[in-house]
This record gives sequence, structure tokens and C-alpha cells, in this order.
Amino acid sequence: MTDLLNFGMSRRALLRVGACLAVAAAGLKTIAGNAAPTTEYRIGPAPGRARLKGSDAPETAVWSYNGQIPGPEIRLRQGEPVRILVENGLGEDTTVHWHGIRLPNAMDGVPGLTQPPIRPGESFLYEFTPPDAGTFWYHPHANSLQQLGRGLAGALIVEEAEPIEVDRDLLWVLGDWRLDTEGQIAPGFGSPMEAAMSGRVGNTVTLNGAAPADLEVRAGERIRLRLVNTSLARIMALRFEGHRPVVVAVDGQPCDPYEPADGRLLLAPAMRLDLVIDMQGEPGKRYAIRDDFYEGLGYELTSFAYSSQPPLRENPLDASLRLPGNPLPRPDLQSATRHELLLEGGMPGMNNMQGGAGMQGMAKMMSGGMGGMKHGQAVWSINGTAMTGDGHAGMQPLVTLARGQSHFVTLRNRTAWWHPMHLHGFSFRVLSRNGAAVPHNQWADTVLMAPDDSVDIAFVADNPGDWMLHCHITDHQTAGLMTVLRVE
Amino acid sequence: MNHANSSYRIERKTKMLRILATMALLATSLTAVHAAEARKAVLYKNPQCGCCEGYADYLRQNGFEVEVKPSNDLAEISRKAGVPADFQGCHTTFIDGYVVDGHVPVKIVEKLLTERPDVAGIALPGMPMGSPGMGGEKTEPFTVYALPKTGGEPAVYATE
Repeated sequence: MTDLLNFGMSRRALLRVGACLAVAAAGLKTIAGNAAPTTEYRIGPAPGRARLKGSDAPETAVWSYNGQIPGPEIRLRQGEPVRILVENGLGEDTTVHWHGIRLPNAMDGVPGLTQPPIRPGESFLYEFTPPDAGTFWYHPHANSLQQLGRGLAGALIVEEAEPIEVDRDLLWVLGDWRLDTEGQIAPGFGSPMEAAMSGRVGNTVTLNGAAPADLEVRAGERIRLRLVNTSLARIMALRFEGHRPVVVAVDGQPCDPYEPADGRLLLAPAMRLDLVIDMQGEPGKRYAIRDDFYEGLGYELTSFAYSSQPPLRENPLDASLRLPGNPLPRPDLQSATRHELLLEGGMPGMNNMQGGAGMQGMAKMMSGGMGGMKHGQAVWSINGTAMTGDGHAGMQPLVTLARGQSHFVTLRNRTAWWHPMHLHGFSFRVLSRNGAAVPHNQWADTVLMAPDDSVDIAFVADNPGDWMLHCHITDHQTAGLMTVLRVE
Repeated sequence: MNHANSSYRIERKTKMLRILATMALLATSLTAVHAAEARKAVLYKNPQCGCCEGYADYLRQNGFEVEVKPSNDLAEISRKAGVPADFQGCHTTFIDGYVVDGHVPVKIVEKLLTERPDVAGIALPGMPMGSPGMGGEKTEPFTVYALPKTGGEPAVYATE
């Protein structure tokens, strides 16, 4: 904490630190015992209010964990157990999904599939021991469009026993909101048109729950920047003007450190990136960080504002950027069982208008246009089957995977839209994309697929249970781009 | 509007449209003047959708001056303009004080601009195959709805 203060943080950032400390005091308790100590948290989803657009703007009615947007930052230590009591203060059922954490199936937070929903006024105790260090997050898996879209999300950081050497370790939880002219959350969740297209992308992006302010930096310092995209649907493509961010982890899992070839970092909903950035700009100057994913709609997200202080050091820190590895079982590609998952449906693209493959998928799902489409109806499918909603009893697995075996899965996007595909309970190797090997030893729990992309992934099915696989563009998930894989 | 543009426009029109245009011209000269001045359209579209550009081109071929604005806020723009969620298409167009949502055939747009009913606008819900800019084969008649200003239940305005 002293390091943070030395670098002259903004008043807002200081307030944030203060708020975190207060929560730590209120919500965190460590039980000493013979075994590893157990950390305890209490989080309560409930209606609240937040100033999303700065102190001058009106407060927005939101749903939040412990009254905070984003929810309290949960910090755990690798290999140490945690107990998290979730007390439902909403007027409807909820659950919490610990996104990216490899944990017992009963702790995965999918209503009807892995646990009964937490009723209003009731609570549920989640207990697990995170095997992997990294940047993860948590969010509801019930009525996801509204619960996530109204603000329920938070970061979950599992600390390495021996972290890499940096001057500051920063977290940016990126949120996306659709606000009306009065600054309130716009109605219209689950629009059939949006379900078949790019989902409910908002009009207001927040960084750690507020309008992004410049990040004050000092020349020469090395920053670890953890990015988490908690949006319902907004895909981001970030560029750091005048800087060369190095990716050191994807979805919490360490990779061979690399600089993206074109300096553009894709961050779809649910994805995380850990970056290391050496601040090599000039004191007193300002460098923009832009998101230009949607054509014609680029904007400045925030910027690095260099203080006028002299550089902290002459040359970049001479320390390794390689994070210690996590204990992931390595799939054996020779013996792996092969599977193929076809994603179909949605609005056809121009290429498919005259009756291509995507059109057939669309026609099958939508019977010749969106004519019969109504709220909650399937417009997407995986291998011709569609599960809708957020999780419920009686979901039959599409595929059963032999436990302990390696599995090689080819995902084919036969749609005109982007899909960040998330597998619960596992991190998988991302092997190849459109026939080309994916470099840097990348693992992920959410792999972004461009239209017509084909991606090969592999993992060891070492964890029994029914695990969801779905698109994390929430409108796509609830409208059919979801299935269940059983490991037994 | 110069002469070259007008003749280009007329070449692209169907016989039916020519008849309709002539009828409109005959009806009152005032309406004709009004229609000629009101041929500007602003089309808000999903930034990732291709068929919206198809519809913009279709309007241009029929004599409209179209400004295309990509927006992620399409559902909110449509909602505020009086288009119920189940009637929203992948683009929404504003023409002469009316909202025209989805791939509405230009003949029905002309009908709207000629008759000038007291409504928020019209919508062709469901982005049906074969509609202008959509591509594909038309499988059933297009039903275009009038959207009440008060936000009430849309009523059938025209079919094609």
C-alpha cells in the first residue's frame, strides 16, 4: 500500500483504496488452524446506487455486491481454502459463478445444474481452494442479462506465492452500461433483435465503477495491469499509444510473455489479460488508451498521464516477466478424444444472405427471418441443439467426456458474429486458430471467435460434473448459444 | 436536387412506384413539393451489420439522401422513437419526422410521407427474408405496422 501512495494517486484512487480497506476490515477474516488458513468473505448482492459518470452526474440505481461497483475485490492466496457466504438481498433468485476458478462442480454456481438457486433472503456458502494463481472474476449465473447488466460483478485475484517484480500491481475492472438520458439503466433487456446480433452493448464504459480518469504514472516505473471485461456484450480492442504492453497471462493463466504484433489487445466479455508495461514515456506527457473495436465508434478509454517527476530508473527494470506456472494438467494430444462443436444461428451476414451455411442455421432457428422471434426464444445453436436462459434443472449434457482423458475440441463459428466461448471448470490450451498454431503457450477459459473462425482447444477432463459451455455475450447465451458437457 | 439525380432515380423505380409518384404529384402540388424537400434520411445501424448498408443503398437508389450512423445504442434509439422491442430491426431510419424501423419497402415509406398520419412512424418487424437490403427469397407478404405516438399497440399500416 505504501508503494501505491508514493506514486501520487488521484483522490478517487485513494478513496478506492480506503473503501477496499474498509471492506477488508468488515468482510475478511482469516481463521488460523493446523492446515492452511481459511479466508472468509461475505458478499451480499442487493439494490444500491452508484455514481457511474462522475460526482456531478446523477446517481444510478444499480444492483451491487456489498453496495460497491464493482463488487469487493476478493484476494486469495493460491492453494489456500476460502469460504464465501453469499447473502441474497435481491428480490429474485441468484447464484455466484467464480469465473475461471477450477473448483468442485457443486461450487460452480449454475442454478439447477450445480446447485439450487439462492432464494431472496437466503444464503449459500461457497467453499473452494483455488489451485491457480491469476486474475479471475465473479458474477451471477441467474437472470444474467439483468443481474450482470445492472452491475453485479467483481474481480477475484489469486496471488502468486512469488509474484513477478513490478512497482505497482493495478486492476482495471471494465464495465459497460446502457444508461438513458436520465442516467438510469435503460430498460429493454433481452431484445430479440440484439439477441440475434451483437447483444446489449451499452453507451457508458466505466473503469473500476466510475468514469475513467487519467492514470497518473511516473516515467521508468513498471506496472502490472490486470484487465477484466465484465460487460454483458461489449468487445474491446485496446491500443496503448506510445507504449508496448507485454501480455504475461490470459484469463489468469500465465503464457510466454509476448507483445501483440499490432499492439492491439482484444478483450471480449469475461476475458482477462495481465499486462506488464514499462513506462517509457516522457515526464509531463499524456498517452491515450483507445478502444477501436466497433467500426466508426472508437473512443478514448483513459490515458497514462506522466507526472513531471524524473524517471524512477534510467533503463527498464531488469527482472523476468514470466509468471510462475500453474499446476494445470497438460493434455496428451496423441491420445485425445476428438469433438467438434458447431456454432450456428443469429442474423446472417452479407456473405450468407444468398443461402450459405450460416443462412441454413439461421433458417433452422428462425424459420425464415426473425418473424416469429420473441423474448427468450432460441436463435442460436450448438450442434443443432439450443439451451436458453442461465441454467435450470434438467439440462441434459450434449457430450459426455471420459474422466481423466484428454479431449481435443474443434469449435467452428458458422455465424456472422463474434463469440467469446467460455467453458466452466477448466482452463484449456488454445492450440490453433484457422489452421495456424496459436503461439506463446496460451491457456484460456474464454476463447474469442471471430465470424467464421475455427479454433482447436484441448484439456484434461480431470474434474467430474456437468459443466456449462456458453457464449459470454449474455444475449447469445440466453438465446441458445449454451450447452452442457458432462465429465464422468 | 439536380436533373441527373432525378433521372437516375426514376430509372431505378418500379412501374408501380412511378404510378404512385405520378398520383402523388397529381393529388396536390403541395404534397409533391413537400416530398421533394423531405428526402433526407438518417439511418442508425448496428456497427457490425451488413444488411443495414444494403437498406441504405436501397434508399439511395430510390432518391433519398442517406446519412448512415453506426451506433451500439440502436435499441435505445428505437425505443425512445416509439418502436416496441419486438418490432425493432437492425437499423432504424428517421425521415421527415417519422421513424422507419427495419427493411420497409420504399413504396410504403412513400405512402407514409404522402399520407402523413399522426403516428410515430412505421416498422417492418422481424427482418424478413427478401425484404429490401436483406437479400434472400421472399417467403411471405411483408406486414408493415404503424407505431402510435402514445406507445400503444401497433396496427397494420400496409402489406406488400
